[in-house]
Amino acid sequence: MPEPDAAIPPVEETAFPPSAETPDGYQVRLDVFEGPLDLLLFLIRKKKIDIHDIPIAAITRDYLGYLERKTEINLDREAEFLFIAALLIYIKSQMLLPRETDLAEGEDPRRVLIDRLVEYERIKAACSLLREREDVQILQWKRDFIPPLHGESELEPVELSLFDLAESFFLLMKRRAAENTRTIRGRDVSVEVKMKELVGLLQERHMIDFLEYFEAHASLEEALIAFFCILELVKSRVAVAVQDELFRTIRVWLRKDARRTAAHD
Amino acid sequence: MTDLKTLVEALIFVSQEPVTMERLQAVLEGVPAADIQSAVDGLVADTGAAGRGIHVIRVGGGWLFATKPDHDREVRKLLQIERKNRLSSAGLETLAAIAYRQPVTQSEVSAIRGVDSTGALKTLLEKKLIKIVGRKKAPGNPLVYRTSDEFLLYLGLDSLDELPSEEEIAKILEEEKAVDA
Repeated sequence: MPEPDAAIPPVEETAFPPSAETPDGYQVRLDVFEGPLDLLLFLIRKKKIDIHDIPIAAITRDYLGYLERKTEINLDREAEFLFIAALLIYIKSQMLLPRETDLAEGEDPRRVLIDRLVEYERIKAACSLLREREDVQILQWKRDFIPPLHGESELEPVELSLFDLAESFFLLMKRRAAENTRTIRGRDVSVEVKMKELVGLLQERHMIDFLEYFEAHASLEEALIAFFCILELVKSRVAVAVQDELFRTIRVWLRKDARRTAAHD
Repeated sequence: MTDLKTLVEALIFVSQEPVTMERLQAVLEGVPAADIQSAVDGLVADTGAAGRGIHVIRVGGGWLFATKPDHDREVRKLLQIERKNRLSSAGLETLAAIAYRQPVTQSEVSAIRGVDSTGALKTLLEKKLIKIVGRKKAPGNPLVYRTSDEFLLYLGLDSLDELPSEEEIAKILEEEKAVDA
């Protein structure tokens, strides 16, 4: 399943965003940055500034300049960028404050920002090394990454007692129990109808995960009927139910010989 | 007596997770560790040489069989896997932050990155690259994360000590600065 942040990652070469010269400097898309610290590091490098001696006013101006160029607004990200902007302005104000005595070495108001930037810079550098490792490892297949080959052959059935099935069922019941059962749905489901539905599903999907199937049901009643159907199908030797381990999910599929006959049902 | 090298090869072959020296010693009762070590070393050298499609690699504190990188395309074809997704840059950054600062909480990771990392953490948990090891005794009792054994396997690391060192990181930063200059 593709997760939201699994978008094609920018290649290391493009870590420095594509930029084009314009009269007022660079045009950079903000979304190429991982976050505000990434943007800040980019600006610092662009200006060839020593990270330990950042001219806060100049960097803040650049930083805010980038924020203004944004076209789309994503509130969550906006807040993160603005937080660092606020921090920059706060640091500048601290530096402007007249003081009775000069600040000691460790009291630079920029300290807090510098520490964060240095740490982030290190993590980023480590990332480029880890990425190299990932690129090599991803090409080497280990046995635990290899999914079972689902060929035509039927999986070897494992003995499963009614007790095991029931045990799993009660586990599901427990999960369901937490739900609001006061709402009554006016839908009657017969075992007969459910059975047809189940067989159809088995033919289509080849195999179903009972837990998943069960959870997909709107009501406890309907789920119960589904469970009876599976028991019925197993009993009449139409389907096979396999549980790898106790309390794990039960996989259900049609027997090969039954697959054809059931199709004409 | 059976050849120790072929015996060790068989043991590593059937294992889905790295076989450690301790496991080998437990199985091969009475065989001196040094002998087992040299048998494994021989096996690593043999399988590493040209002419073999799989090799024994040192990873996650033990040894494991893996296909050689050259065969990736055909292996994927057999397994009907289009493409192995690399981690997103957000995912990798989050993983690196956890790897170096573990045990850490979500807010600590987010602070390092300057970005909310809840989503990235969830993805890494789903991929089993990180695990929850408990709760921190702090306001809100936040969950504490660590990298998992799968993490080592995923990046081909023998242990966490093999993470890029301070020196390696400093070298990368030097190089990047040289490019900018």
